[in-house]
Amino acid sequence: MTLWLTIIGGGIITYLTRASFILAGDQVRLPAAVERGLRYVAPAAFAAIAVPAVFGGDGLDGFGDDVPRITAAIVAGAVIVRSRNVPASLVLGLSTLWLLLILF
Amino acid sequence: MTDFSFDRRAFFDGFRATIPIGLPGVPFGLVLGFLISDAGIDRLAGWSSSWIILAGAAQLAAIELLAEQASAAVVLVTITFVNSRHLLYSAALRQRFAPFPRWFRLVGPYVLLDQAFALANAQPDDLDDRYRMWHYFGSGAFLFGMWQIVVGVGVVVGDVIRPEWQLTFAVPILFGSLMLLSISNHAGVVAAVVGGVVAMLGTALPQGSGILLAIVLGVAAGAAWEGRLAEDPSATEAP
Repeated sequence: MTLWLTIIGGGIITYLTRASFILAGDQVRLPAAVERGLRYVAPAAFAAIAVPAVFGGDGLDGFGDDVPRITAAIVAGAVIVRSRNVPASLVLGLSTLWLLLILF
Repeated sequence: MTDFSFDRRAFFDGFRATIPIGLPGVPFGLVLGFLISDAGIDRLAGWSSSWIILAGAAQLAAIELLAEQASAAVVLVTITFVNSRHLLYSAALRQRFAPFPRWFRLVGPYVLLDQAFALANAQPDDLDDRYRMWHYFGSGAFLFGMWQIVVGVGVVVGDVIRPEWQLTFAVPILFGSLMLLSISNHAGVVAAVVGGVVAMLGTALPQGSGILLAIVLGVAAGAAWEGRLAEDPSATEAP
């Protein structure tokens, strides 16, 4: 029972964070500087998710083990910058990772 | 009164556009399902986190804590921090979603997953409101449906994704791609660099609070960079 209540509580928290400003809509006014900053939520958030995962989630500990993943991430990033093609970046990024893990 | 009746074309455009950025989450969902089945908790309750919480990273953190018999309070604080980025997604979409009917503003946020935010946030400002709304729902419908199936399959079939295959690395590649695609000026680069570096250094912070700090500082840095340009007319910037 505690398990269900914990998960439902987690669902309520998640919904409230997602709904907060969307539900408020025009009823709130944010300072111009904040509105300007909100244009940078996407790059900041997606970097904050991707970068630690590339480094294995342990900061700079065990950096040597991260080299194949870092290389794969750079290849995937180069593909995106050149082609803006997400499936291509996934295929080439993962292929690079597999190749490096097989070779070394 | 604007017409917000069902727009089939917009819905399926959104559905289709989400497929390539949704599917990279499949290995992660299968692994999450396996971890739920392996955590020593009620499997139905564990799987139900997929439709009750509907957020992969928070579900993973919660399941790991529940497997360690952590208290409900610790689980809820962790979910709050890991999902705090949704507060910023919500704020970033507020103005675009403000013209939508109130029922949308109640229901729509339920499917505000990262990929749905990425698509809605990237759309042009001058898009038709009805098209924008149903495009978002199409996106959310794909992500919701995919997540229920994939996590469910993971719970049932168990350990099918071998760690040595590194398939879950599709998630960081996807988010790295979404990051690069979301950058349109130098301030965006600054936001991404600050967000990424702070998140990496912040992995030691408790309950996943590092990610919130990283995003807030990244956003502030991006805005400060843009503000610096506005004050200094001699500074120019590539589009």
